[in-house]
Amino acid sequence: MNDIILINISIITLLLPLFGFGLIILFSKRFPKLYMLGIGLLIVNFVLAVILLYAKLSNFLTQDINFQFTWIDFGNVPYLGNVHIDLGLKIDNITVIMLFVVNLISMLVHIYSLEYMKGDKRFNRYYAYLGIFTFSMIGIVIANNLLMIYIFWELVGLSSYLLIGFWYEKKSAADASKKAFITNRVGDLGMFIGILIVFTTYHTFTFDSIFEQISNGVLPFDSNAWLTATGILIFMGAVGKSAQFPLHVWLPDAMEGPTPVSALIHSATMVAAGVYLSLRIFAMLTADAMLVIAVVGGFTSFLAATIAITQNDIKRVLAYSTVSQLGYMVMAVGVGAFQYAFFHLITHAFFKSNLFLGSGSVIHAMHHEQDMRQMGGLRKKMPVTYAAFIVSSLAISGIPLTSGFLSKDGLLAGSLAFAHLTGHWLLPTFGFLVALMTAFYMFRLVIMTFHGEPRNKEKYNHAHESPFVMVLPLIVLTALSLFFWYTPNPVGPEQGWFLSEWVRPAETVVPQETRFDFMKTTGEEVSGHSAGAVVFSEEYEHAMHWAHIPTLILSLLLGGLGILFAFVIYHWRKIDPDELAEKFKSLYLFSLNKWYVDEFYQATFIAGTLKLSYLLSLFDKYVVDGIVNGTAFVTRGISTVSGIFDKYVVDGLVNFTAFLSGLIGLGFRRLQSGRIQTYLVLVIFSLILLLLFFEPF
Amino acid sequence: MDFTSLYDSLSLIKPEIVISVTLLLIVIFDLIFHKNKTLIPYIALAGLIIGGIYVLSDISNSGFAFVISSTSNNFGLLALDSFGSYFKFLIIITSILIVFFAKHSLEIKNTGTRQGEFYTLLFGMILGMMFMISASDLIMIYVSMELLSFSSYVLAGFIKLRDRNSEASLKYIIFGGVASGIMLFGISLIYGLTGTTNLYQINQVLQSAHVNLIVLSFSLLLVVAGIGYKISAVPFHFWTPDVYEGAPVSITAFLSVASKAAGFAILIRLIKTAFVSNIDSVGNWQLIPVFDWQTLLAVLAILTMTLGNFAALWQDNLKRMLAYSSIAHAGYLLLGIVVFSEIGIEAVLIYFAVYMLMNLGSFYIVMLIADKTGSENIDDYGGLGYVTPFLGVSFAVFLVSLTGLPPTAGFIGKLYLFIALIDAKMTTLAVIAVLNSVVSLYYYIRVLKHMFLKKPDGNVREIKLSAANIVYIVILLIPVLLLGIYFTPLVNFAESCLAFLHF
Repeated sequence: MNDIILINISIITLLLPLFGFGLIILFSKRFPKLYMLGIGLLIVNFVLAVILLYAKLSNFLTQDINFQFTWIDFGNVPYLGNVHIDLGLKIDNITVIMLFVVNLISMLVHIYSLEYMKGDKRFNRYYAYLGIFTFSMIGIVIANNLLMIYIFWELVGLSSYLLIGFWYEKKSAADASKKAFITNRVGDLGMFIGILIVFTTYHTFTFDSIFEQISNGVLPFDSNAWLTATGILIFMGAVGKSAQFPLHVWLPDAMEGPTPVSALIHSATMVAAGVYLSLRIFAMLTADAMLVIAVVGGFTSFLAATIAITQNDIKRVLAYSTVSQLGYMVMAVGVGAFQYAFFHLITHAFFKSNLFLGSGSVIHAMHHEQDMRQMGGLRKKMPVTYAAFIVSSLAISGIPLTSGFLSKDGLLAGSLAFAHLTGHWLLPTFGFLVALMTAFYMFRLVIMTFHGEPRNKEKYNHAHESPFVMVLPLIVLTALSLFFWYTPNPVGPEQGWFLSEWVRPAETVVPQETRFDFMKTTGEEVSGHSAGAVVFSEEYEHAMHWAHIPTLILSLLLGGLGILFAFVIYHWRKIDPDELAEKFKSLYLFSLNKWYVDEFYQATFIAGTLKLSYLLSLFDKYVVDGIVNGTAFVTRGISTVSGIFDKYVVDGLVNFTAFLSGLIGLGFRRLQSGRIQTYLVLVIFSLILLLLFFEPF
Repeated sequence: MDFTSLYDSLSLIKPEIVISVTLLLIVIFDLIFHKNKTLIPYIALAGLIIGGIYVLSDISNSGFAFVISSTSNNFGLLALDSFGSYFKFLIIITSILIVFFAKHSLEIKNTGTRQGEFYTLLFGMILGMMFMISASDLIMIYVSMELLSFSSYVLAGFIKLRDRNSEASLKYIIFGGVASGIMLFGISLIYGLTGTTNLYQINQVLQSAHVNLIVLSFSLLLVVAGIGYKISAVPFHFWTPDVYEGAPVSITAFLSVASKAAGFAILIRLIKTAFVSNIDSVGNWQLIPVFDWQTLLAVLAILTMTLGNFAALWQDNLKRMLAYSSIAHAGYLLLGIVVFSEIGIEAVLIYFAVYMLMNLGSFYIVMLIADKTGSENIDDYGGLGYVTPFLGVSFAVFLVSLTGLPPTAGFIGKLYLFIALIDAKMTTLAVIAVLNSVVSLYYYIRVLKHMFLKKPDGNVREIKLSAANIVYIVILLIPVLLLGIYFTPLVNFAESCLAFLHF
């Protein structure tokens, strides 16, 4: 298998879902069963993704495959020089792994939705949207340049909008879709500005040539500060898409969409695109930019975890948990734990989509009841869903033998090492607190849903295990949440093939003086490594080594403690949660109301905009209108005079123009009499005219 | 004439030979199978495809064919170069599309056993065009143009049953006869002035010797009248609406694309070979100061665009509307020549490729609708977009492309034309062209208004499309949309085909 075949396969995987989208949108009226085509195409796509994964990792393990062509050649543009826009693909290990994940989860969701969405009146349309989403997501994954990423970025935004508002008859769904779209737009604006800065500086959108130029010392506006700013601006896109503070507010509301959509888009793939983008631009991030990213991520994960503790809607808990875990990944990018950020992205994609699909299964069984206070005891009725939930919850809580343990432990160790070297102890503090809270709220969810006595007898009696097409995805994803896919050693991820062979260490190209001390390279160290690879200093290796054991112990302890608390409070009822809430009422309300961020936005930005427009309207009414009215009075006098002028002269002119056009046309028509004699006379006549008026030199 | 040079000449014109052989084969098959004509289109296709392959494989070859050894220089009757090959390639593609067009067309089907004749004459036209494109001798130009014209006269009146058909044919003959007479007069005057009919030698004479400029201008105007008739430039366009309306749609489409392409090719070649002294480093043509081509063509272009667009405003018959629209497009294309630079010619080449796609597409849809509803009148298309959405949407795309709006290929064609104009600092012409595009928007969109904003009334029936129809439309539709987004290959192809044979 050579690289051209790989490129072709990845182009096919990109286009197949789009093809499905087109066919379903166009012909679903004539063929009501057309959604089956969408599912079939996704299965084909998944097979192709597996082939790609295998071929890339077995034949091209250390070699990236690039393919690009000139899209538009502007030629020589004044002030800019030769400008051409290239489009292309970059297939590296990260790409094929992401392709595998996206296609797998998309395929599972396609299958799952067969049952979950059964009977929906826009069933075909639903599959069409899933198709265009998959297309756009694959586009982000395989693009080798910022322009294509931006285009597909907007396309995933669009498909997310369409799917959140899929049941647009519900006002809440329609509002949520608008909120998601507008909130994302804020982040995308920053990203767009960042991309423009990159293009004006480097005249290219392609990552590799941008990085090459940075390593040659070409900087935006010749300043390190602008390089930092560019990195942060592009990262703003990730803040929007990956729901980081302060733009995280759309993701919980996005749960208004169908649950399988939440599993696909709002937990595993699209929201991870932000992290993916940060990883793609990692090489151009300066130390300052990374610090900003780390703080944003760390704070987001803390904020979301504290909110998740008190929510009662099963999907909302999961939504905040997603925000929190995304914060983890972003923090990991910021602290330089590149590999662990990607690792957590993958493991999280599996267990979180599993949790969402599991919650979908519960919601399905409970006849669209999402409030956990109405559930309970479902363990006996839904054993498979319960098992899936337990494994995934253990994974997200970071308990050994699961995939979550491996990645979470790594990124916490990374943050600890980072703090040790730079003194930013707040980040690991956030990280470990979140680990505690995560274990707590996940088991709170599991206990409230599956343990104890059923609180709503009627719904409980109707509940039943979901049909096979819904259970199958749960089984697959549960299996993928275990450790042995990634490493043979359940407590040592770094020996595993995933980290030691598949995901290569980060590279950086920013000037030495803008790097963290522990990422600086000296001349000798470069040899033996690829030119751009970050050579972490010995200190960092030491710090990482030092951080390993404390992290292991601490995270196990905190995870276990969280689970224990959950059991103490909700299962054994040693402490009454209501009493606890009463005791810490202000804290409880603060968390329940999501730190009042929405209210804050309502009071400031939204109300501010409204107030401003009200003021403007007042200004308009009194000042502008006043002037206008005053002027109008004066004008009226003049206008009476001019009206007469208008009526006779201007109207006359306008009418005359229309009349003239008509006349010209009619004249042409008159010329075209249909009589050949006339034509010939006209030809000869015009020739004579030309001869008369045409002067030779 | 010795045989090696004959062999060399023949090896340069392989595509033309293939077309001629195919023509003969069609005649023979037509005679052998007088009842069953189903095979003939396939022979035609095979011939065209082989011809097309030869054109493509010889695209970078160049040389003179049929060199008259008596002259001191080795200038032949035909000059083969990549510029000519580009146009030949376009014509062959158009012809392939027209063969399918005719196969789907009810009018042609109804002629029954006379279909053989149809293809024979079609190949006569193709052959005439291909020789015309490469002709580097005034006599060769004249002869090939006549070959093209005679075949098209007959084809315009091919369906004898309809009055307007015969009328179209007759008008075409008379008009064409007069035009070619005028042109021949011009040619004889040029021969008298320069003592040669070969374009390359004319160039040498004009550069060195002194000729009477008034007589030269007079004779050139007459020649321009002849070519202007072929490309239906105003004021030599009068035949166009009547003939386009009367002729079978497939022939109208062919005339509006291929015949026009051949006319433009020979106009450009005439100016380039006979009147350009040299090309400067940035690709601008330096004209020999004997004749003000720039003003003449600019005036013709403005007249052609403006009249075409304004007259189209009033048409209710779609074929007639498209006829005027094709006149207007000839005006835009003339602008590309007026620039007299390689960028301008490149723009013309790009525009032609795009124009071929969108014009054939529009005519094809008009043909489908006219075949099914029996009417070409715009008022009978009310609500068609609802009844047959696929047809409506594709027609919309073609019309939007003809207007020149993104993201269609038509936009790219116009973009490159206007860039060429702006680069040459001919802003006035560019503004006039843009204003004309605005006018054209009115009549193109008017069709859409009728199709989509009117609710269908009872008598509009759904038009059943066969799979072949849909495939044909999609084959034209995809490049129209694709070239609007990704046009670099076309631009590069056109750029590689700018070479003229030098002496």
